[in-house]
Amino acid sequence: MLVEPKTSLLQRLYVIEIAKGMMITMKNFFFGKKVTIQYPEQRRTYSDRYRGMHYIKVTDGVENCTACMLCPTVCPAECIHIEAGEREGKEKYPVTFEIDVLRCCFCGMCEEACPKDAIKLSTIYEMSQPVREVYDKEFLLEQRGNK
Amino acid sequence: MPKCIIDGREVEFTPGQNLIEVAKSAGIVIPGFCYHPGLSVVAQCRMCAVEIEKMPKLQTACSTAATEGMVVKTRSERVKDAQKSVMEFLLINHPLDCPICDKAGECDLQDRSFDYGSPYQRYAEERRTFEDVDMGPVIKKNMNRCIHCTRCIRFGDEIAGIREMVAIHRGNSTEITTLTGLPLETEYAGNYADICPTGSLTLKDFRFKKRVWFLKKVPTICEGCSRGCSLELHQSDNVIYRCVARENLEVNKYWICDEGRFNFHYVQAPERLTEPAARQGGSLQSAEWSVAVAKAKATIVDKKVTVLVGSDLTQEEALLLKELAPKHFPGAAMFHFGTPGITAGQHDAPADKILKRTSKTSNLHGLEQLGFEGLVTLPRGTEAVVVFRGGRATLPDLGGLATVGVGVFTAAEAEAFQAVLPGLTFTEKSGTIVNFEGREQQLKRVILPLGQAKPLAEILTMWANVGAAAVVARAGAKV
Repeated sequence: MLVEPKTSLLQRLYVIEIAKGMMITMKNFFFGKKVTIQYPEQRRTYSDRYRGMHYIKVTDGVENCTACMLCPTVCPAECIHIEAGEREGKEKYPVTFEIDVLRCCFCGMCEEACPKDAIKLSTIYEMSQPVREVYDKEFLLEQRGNK
Repeated sequence: MPKCIIDGREVEFTPGQNLIEVAKSAGIVIPGFCYHPGLSVVAQCRMCAVEIEKMPKLQTACSTAATEGMVVKTRSERVKDAQKSVMEFLLINHPLDCPICDKAGECDLQDRSFDYGSPYQRYAEERRTFEDVDMGPVIKKNMNRCIHCTRCIRFGDEIAGIREMVAIHRGNSTEITTLTGLPLETEYAGNYADICPTGSLTLKDFRFKKRVWFLKKVPTICEGCSRGCSLELHQSDNVIYRCVARENLEVNKYWICDEGRFNFHYVQAPERLTEPAARQGGSLQSAEWSVAVAKAKATIVDKKVTVLVGSDLTQEEALLLKELAPKHFPGAAMFHFGTPGITAGQHDAPADKILKRTSKTSNLHGLEQLGFEGLVTLPRGTEAVVVFRGGRATLPDLGGLATVGVGVFTAAEAEAFQAVLPGLTFTEKSGTIVNFEGREQQLKRVILPLGQAKPLAEILTMWANVGAAAVVARAGAKV
């Protein structure tokens, strides 16, 4: 049989305990440091090293990428798909460059492996989509940062 | 056997063997670029320099024959110093464009630089550059990457028997080119890409298709002619990307011809029929397996049938046909076919002085061993023909007879057929083939069957079972 703990009426009403608890809540509410912000009007600034939405760096109108395939090689999520080709003025370039962003784990290894300083992770973090998104080359060529 | 001492280890050798080979037999690697076991020795790159006791200077291991009691050091300070200097020297004009070079990942220069070179470079002057001339349909040249090892020149001279590659000018401006600036003529041009220790000569066919470290390599045998050269097929994600020669000193040494090298393309060509098909309303249309097999059986029923067996099938498949044909095709005559004009093993002769043979199918001699006879003309009164084919044998003129094709056909070849039951090519099956010397060699499966293609044994089982309604339903469900 359950033994009821012996408590006084005052204790059983919890008034004092509730008041004590509310004191702490109110103290934080009025005087504490706020942890939330008014998103989207307010935005946080992130470190330049933040790893967000991808882009391919372009120098003088030409993409830096030479389709060397080091990023798909190093990618632990296997989310980068490149097809290489040849065109006038550039011996090897990516004909298609696709990032299956749902698979991407934003580890930044592609950026690290790239010998041509081409693939970059910007500080853009607003990437939610209603559908599964695959970033194609055209999308990636948009310059999204100054890394 | 005489012995010498390499790096403190006693190594046996046969007289006349050079130090690179002797060291290799003991598991000691002496790096080199110009040395190739299948070519003459020129000692040009100086990378294989080793220290030999009682010799004042370093000696090149490729041009020094081992002698009794010789004491060789391959990793002494002097040798390491020399290797480092040679590497730096070779990389002076090298563009270091590994990211766009197809050789990267299997490049001798890259590997040796990593193992023996320095990570830093002192050379700051402008590098020499060349305008590249076209080398024909097989080889893409990039002279900037060349280290003048002259393997290609020696290959043309000594193996291909045509002296088309030469070195012009001297010293820094040496250029390897064809003598007249004409495209390469040899039918063995693909080997230039195999033996080039840098990315100077690469295959146009494989250009930028895939980085080599993604490829899975499967050793197999060529089905291009009755020699049966050893190949290595490279696949990734069930797609074959290229074919290179595999060392086999008894058959093809280190080389293969271009015909064999590029033969694999038909396997994944869009024209190949990989779905069962049956003639409906005047044209061949894709059908379910049960429908196609039923159509095939209906085509030959109550007719005088001739069975043609391509000499590109394996021994296992041919034996299966030999055993089962009397059951499946009662009273049918059976012949092998493959190359026009070559109906017996004795007609098979060397087609050139190097590797090629006139029988353009791999298993002509194996089929003869099994007692198949060559097709000269179809027997009189033949009303229907069943053709079993691996994909390489040349179809004989069937003169508009009702035909059923089992195996690998292109849409154009099978246009007039009544039914096609798709089989496997040499890359999709394992098996045994017998070359012109009677040497049994093993094909290995490289990729999984494409489309709905099935092994011959399964097709024959279906052939036996179709007719019973339950079996038809099951075959349909399986498809």
